[in-house]
Amino acid sequence: MDPFSAEGELLNIHNAFHSGQYQDVIDFETAAFSPENQLPARVLKLRSQIALGHSDEVLAAVASEEDTPDLAATKALAQQVAGKTDAALQLAQDLAENYPDNATVQVLASTVLQAQGQNEEAIAVLSKHQGNLEAVSLIVQIHLQQNRSDLAIKEVQAAKRWAQDSLLVNIAESWVGLRVGGEKYQSAFYVYEELASGPSTSAPLSIVGQAVAELHLGRLPEAEAALTAALEKYPTDAELIANTIVLNVLAGKPSADLESLLQQTEPSHALLADIQEKSALFDTAAAKYSPKVSS
Amino acid sequence: MQSSPNMLTKFESKSSRAKGIAFHPNRPWILVSLHSSTIQLWDYRMGTLIDRFEEHDGPVRGIDFHPTQPLFVSGGDDYKIKVWNYQTRRCLFTLNGHLDYVRTVFFHPELPWILSASDDQTIRIWNWQNRSLICTMTGHNHYVMCAQFHPTEDLIASASLDQSVRIWDISGLRKKHSAPTSVSFEDQMARANPNQADMFGNTDAIVKFVLEGHDRGVNWVSFHPTLPLIVSAGDDRLIKLWRMSDTKAWEVDTCRGHFQNASACLFHPHQDLILSVGEDKTIRVWDLNKRTSVQSFKRDLDRFWVIAAHPKMNLFAAGHDTGVMVFKLERERPASAVYQNQLFYITKEKHVKSYDFAKNVESPPMLSLRKLGSPWVPPRTISYNPAERAILVTSPSDGGTYELINLPRDATGAVEPTDVKRGQATSAVFVARNRFAVFNPASQQVDIKDLSNSTTKTIKPPAGTTDIYFGGTGCLLFITPTTVALFDIQQKKQLAEVTVSGVKYVVWSNDGLYCALLSKHNVTIVTKTLEQVSTLHETIRIKSATWDDSGVLIYSTLNHVKYSLLNGDNGIIRTLDQTVYLVRVKGRNVYCLDRNAQPRTLEIDPTEYRFKLSLVKRNYDEMLQIIKTSSLVGQSIISYLQKKGYPEIALQFVQDPQTRFDLALECGNLEVAIDMARELDRPHYWSRLSAEALSHGNHQTVEMTYQKQRNFDKLSFLYLTTGDQEKLSRMAKIAEHRGDFTSRFQNSIYRGDVEDRIQMFKEVDQYPLAYLAAKANGLTEEAESILEACGLTEDQITLPSLESSLQVPRPIVPTFKSNWPVKAAGHSSFEKALLGEVGAADEEAGVDAFEAEEEDEEAVLAKDTLDDDEEDASGWDMGDDINVEEEVDFVNVESTEAGAGSSEADIWARNSPLAADHVAAGSFETAMQLLNRQVGAVQFAPLKDRFLEIFKASKTYLPASVGLPPLVNYVRRTTEETDIRKVLPFIPRDLETIASVDLQEGYAAMRSNKLEDGVKTFKRILHNVLVNTVSSEAEVEEAKKIISTAREYVLAMSIELERRKLSTDTPEGLKRSLELSAYFTIPKLEVAHRQLALMAAMKLAFANKNYNSALGFASRMLANGGSAKLLEQARKIKAQCERNPSDQIEVDFDPFAEFDICAASYTPIFSGSPFVTDPFTGAKYHEQYKGSVDRIADVTEIGAPASGLRLFVPSQY
Repeated sequence: MDPFSAEGELLNIHNAFHSGQYQDVIDFETAAFSPENQLPARVLKLRSQIALGHSDEVLAAVASEEDTPDLAATKALAQQVAGKTDAALQLAQDLAENYPDNATVQVLASTVLQAQGQNEEAIAVLSKHQGNLEAVSLIVQIHLQQNRSDLAIKEVQAAKRWAQDSLLVNIAESWVGLRVGGEKYQSAFYVYEELASGPSTSAPLSIVGQAVAELHLGRLPEAEAALTAALEKYPTDAELIANTIVLNVLAGKPSADLESLLQQTEPSHALLADIQEKSALFDTAAAKYSPKVSS
Repeated sequence: MQSSPNMLTKFESKSSRAKGIAFHPNRPWILVSLHSSTIQLWDYRMGTLIDRFEEHDGPVRGIDFHPTQPLFVSGGDDYKIKVWNYQTRRCLFTLNGHLDYVRTVFFHPELPWILSASDDQTIRIWNWQNRSLICTMTGHNHYVMCAQFHPTEDLIASASLDQSVRIWDISGLRKKHSAPTSVSFEDQMARANPNQADMFGNTDAIVKFVLEGHDRGVNWVSFHPTLPLIVSAGDDRLIKLWRMSDTKAWEVDTCRGHFQNASACLFHPHQDLILSVGEDKTIRVWDLNKRTSVQSFKRDLDRFWVIAAHPKMNLFAAGHDTGVMVFKLERERPASAVYQNQLFYITKEKHVKSYDFAKNVESPPMLSLRKLGSPWVPPRTISYNPAERAILVTSPSDGGTYELINLPRDATGAVEPTDVKRGQATSAVFVARNRFAVFNPASQQVDIKDLSNSTTKTIKPPAGTTDIYFGGTGCLLFITPTTVALFDIQQKKQLAEVTVSGVKYVVWSNDGLYCALLSKHNVTIVTKTLEQVSTLHETIRIKSATWDDSGVLIYSTLNHVKYSLLNGDNGIIRTLDQTVYLVRVKGRNVYCLDRNAQPRTLEIDPTEYRFKLSLVKRNYDEMLQIIKTSSLVGQSIISYLQKKGYPEIALQFVQDPQTRFDLALECGNLEVAIDMARELDRPHYWSRLSAEALSHGNHQTVEMTYQKQRNFDKLSFLYLTTGDQEKLSRMAKIAEHRGDFTSRFQNSIYRGDVEDRIQMFKEVDQYPLAYLAAKANGLTEEAESILEACGLTEDQITLPSLESSLQVPRPIVPTFKSNWPVKAAGHSSFEKALLGEVGAADEEAGVDAFEAEEEDEEAVLAKDTLDDDEEDASGWDMGDDINVEEEVDFVNVESTEAGAGSSEADIWARNSPLAADHVAAGSFETAMQLLNRQVGAVQFAPLKDRFLEIFKASKTYLPASVGLPPLVNYVRRTTEETDIRKVLPFIPRDLETIASVDLQEGYAAMRSNKLEDGVKTFKRILHNVLVNTVSSEAEVEEAKKIISTAREYVLAMSIELERRKLSTDTPEGLKRSLELSAYFTIPKLEVAHRQLALMAAMKLAFANKNYNSALGFASRMLANGGSAKLLEQARKIKAQCERNPSDQIEVDFDPFAEFDICAASYTPIFSGSPFVTDPFTGAKYHEQYKGSVDRIADVTEIGAPASGLRLFVPSQY
């Protein structure tokens, strides 16, 4: 049965996962689920734990059950997030080869592959999917990371034909929208705003999405309101901090405090890495110039 | 035929059979004449019986209000016509004459006439002023059931059981009875014999037409208000429509449908409709043009006898076997929806229009909904979806239908919508961007549908649900007759429920945190999770509500606009002359739709509720603001404050000492209370103050009040308890002085002063007591002498057994020295706000060393001219060419094969020749190349922060799948653009920010003499402008102005800083110092700032006896004008210097020569001598500085070849 169908048992837990309510997923009451849904639900819970940064616990939890490809895939992801990248890659490649039709393997193995820069392999694994929306959204994300919005748009359009109203498709469409811009910014904003304001879907993920859309729309005060409120609630969310830094710089406000906060919470964040890289770049580039007469 | 959902019953009465009904023209009243002989006067709005009139004997069938006078007329089966005054509640007189039942009575619209129809087969016209019969019309040969005046013409229509309808011409009668302009003999004759028919019969009223067509008796006839049409109802169960011209009248058509006798009928006053009632227990509505049934309403048991229309409003009343009902044919509430600044609404013509609140503009019609529902039924609701620009409209016809329609992009006229999705439902609302919910009460089912109108989910609402409303994102509110439930659509579960009965409308606050549930007479405010916040009751029906941005609910009843705070505190804002439906409040404007679906704006005074709101929120600054700017302060607001427990705030507004005293006591503010008591100086106030002060332990105040009251006893006791022995003995003295022995006795006891007591006893001849006191305290001598004085001996006296002598307890702590310590009440925050303001004002008054008036800085800035305007014109074009060539290698990646594409950042760099865009793209090398080429930039270190700032702001991080890095999106300044070849980055700190924030900061540094900071600020401005973009040629000019302004300030401040570093101990040093101070006056600063420089230079020159220079500076200052203080000083110095205009120290400064200052050496460059300029800042230098780094911005190379700074590319916009 399609886990995303409106009547499926897994719908709510799936939606909670994809709207970023990881703690809710972990706390989700799944005992009443039918036996065939127990595994997917468990995988979602494990993935939520990974998302919350508890990869070690996940590794411990699946240690004895690696025969199940789904759990093995989870392990690969946990390894990847925990920094054991080589092992993760190895495991992901094995799984992709042995269980190419397992939906969980497709998604998680390709996530690991993508995270290690193996885009084409990741796409190849994902392309085997059979109506797996998660795979679709992952494909979209990979295309976007490759700056291939044209391909991403196609993927979303195709998915919309058979799953128009799935949360995942909506979110993936917003990703694309934020890349394309123009009127699409506004549509993306509506999607995230809806998520952020709904009691059952509000999470840092959706608030960040909303704020990012506002930023792109040039509505800085609104973005600030959303981010400030969210930061109070989730003071250590790296993406919240990173985007607040961007906002502050855009608005001409000081951002040094937030930068050091980000340095503490996630020193490897792309923003910091970029700044560091560019700072070095600046110094080398600037060294090429000098006045004719030194004063 | 099923009953129509549209007929809205507004009022029903229970009584015996109602035979006649009349609406009051202005007031919400109806008269009902009953078969039981009673006449009732009802207020149908309040639903109350106002009065009963019972003088008729037997059924009363005819009744009518006078259009202007407080009169009504009735006609009954007692053959009598009675005229009543409803104010005095008496029957004024009775018109007798009819010989059988009177069926109907009507007032003439203008003349003082009454028309009556009777079973005696006559129709009569009476003059109620002189109470006489003026005309009797005979002709019908059976009972006349009804006779009515034409509303405008001199015609009468009558209906009779002889199966005919007759039209009578009464112009002759009018002629006879109206005041003639020229009185002819015939007229006089006629007036002399008013009641006599002439020899040919009655010419006053002649039959004009006889309308035959009914097969049975005719019960009712009515004229059309404007058209030459007549409608009649008969026992043949038909409603017949007749038309007439000047010469003839004929039957037009018949409306068939009643299956029992039709008792009455009339034309709708405004619409092309006929209404009829019959003994088949139905009210039927017919289309006048098609003569088809539009709707019908059936009562179960009661036959209808009469129907009446309100002369002005959209209201009808029908009388039946057990009373009357007042009803409307349709809702008058126009369907509307508000989104941000726009109101979407449906007009009476069923056109969808929008209204812009900000611009106060009504759009042309956008859509025509003519085909929605049946033609006579207006749409009920509209729901707007901004994401899809779609509307969802519901109509109650056919058991409820909805339509989903996309609005056209531009309003072009009332076009028929294409691609309409429709279905069956009574309510339909958008619940999300791409979802809406429809509710079908018959199946008790809510369907969630997507935009293609297919059901994606089905929800079973709670039993008895009557309506659904939007419940916040992804949620619905289910309305049942007794509760409101909040339901999460996605989780399919009920989140909350609140018990509120009869909710009809739901209004969400603008921030979505609160929601007002409106029922007929109650407003309940709940939070978004349905926790009840407050509720209020109105006796008048509540019509609509909307939220103020500050969270105040503004609601309207039938006749008022009122407000309610969240805490339920409510009040009237203004009255309404007609019912309106509020849609929005903004500032002092309330926007609403009237019953004709026209947007209207009402002005309100929000002061009162804003004040109360700020009181609740304890926002004292705002309260203060309100108090200052409005005339709010009155007795009512003071008593309001007092009642609500804010006496300390009320205290601030009151002048009247008595009220102030009361309030001060209430809030325990003794200081104010003392002041006021002093002012009032009456015993009553002192005693109240003393009681209050005592309870505060403030015994010093208590002492003072006792003194004021001359309350010696209490004073003494106070001194005793506080241990103030000194004052206690003074009290004793006072008592002695006053000769008040009781007091003296008391004091001596308090003080334990036995001698004084004995002395006192002796003085009042109380020797036994004196002796006793002496004896008891062991003063034997004294006792002896007393005995002696009395001539007694000891054995003559029997003494009670003596115990140890009285010891007065002594206080251990000297309480009297200070008041009982009370926790410092301090100032209320309100008082603080008051004081804070004063404080701020003081600070402003304080002037620091450099303080000068800043007058119209911007104006001055605007006047500033640039001298290097043309210089770069050609360079700009050249730069463009070079860059275009460079970008030939641009390749647009659009292939579909796999592989990575270019990031947007790379594309920015390709799209733009501006350095700032390259910086945002992270392409620092090319950015530096561009800057080097454009302005000769060679030293980039000072620009590092700016580079990184722009780069940091270039992208956002959107978290996506777990385990993968966030998606990076690039922030564009071209937010509308989607063509990747045209997108460009957002550059923070645009020109406007620089001009309005940074520049002002620099000026402030100048004013406050923080020159180091100022130099930094202005340098930063230069860096920020250097790496930036602007959006128009005009802004390019502005940028240049900012650059030159910043340059002048950096130069000026650097000169002054240089001077301050110098030691003036040596003559050289002093000379240089004087020179520099003179050069400080050269850069083109704002006038106010130049004055500061001049002032400094003048003072320095004067102090060093360089009177000539000082004179020059003083003159310049005076020429510049400005603050009086400065000018005064300049004038003084000028006067002094003029006496001896010579310089003691020769300086290199010629006030009359044209020269610039070299920004490196701070020496003059006289015109004609060679110099080099900086390509970016335009600063001038002596030639030897060529090739070194500019001192102003520290970035560019002086004299470097440069193409000119580019900030703008026209094609980008």
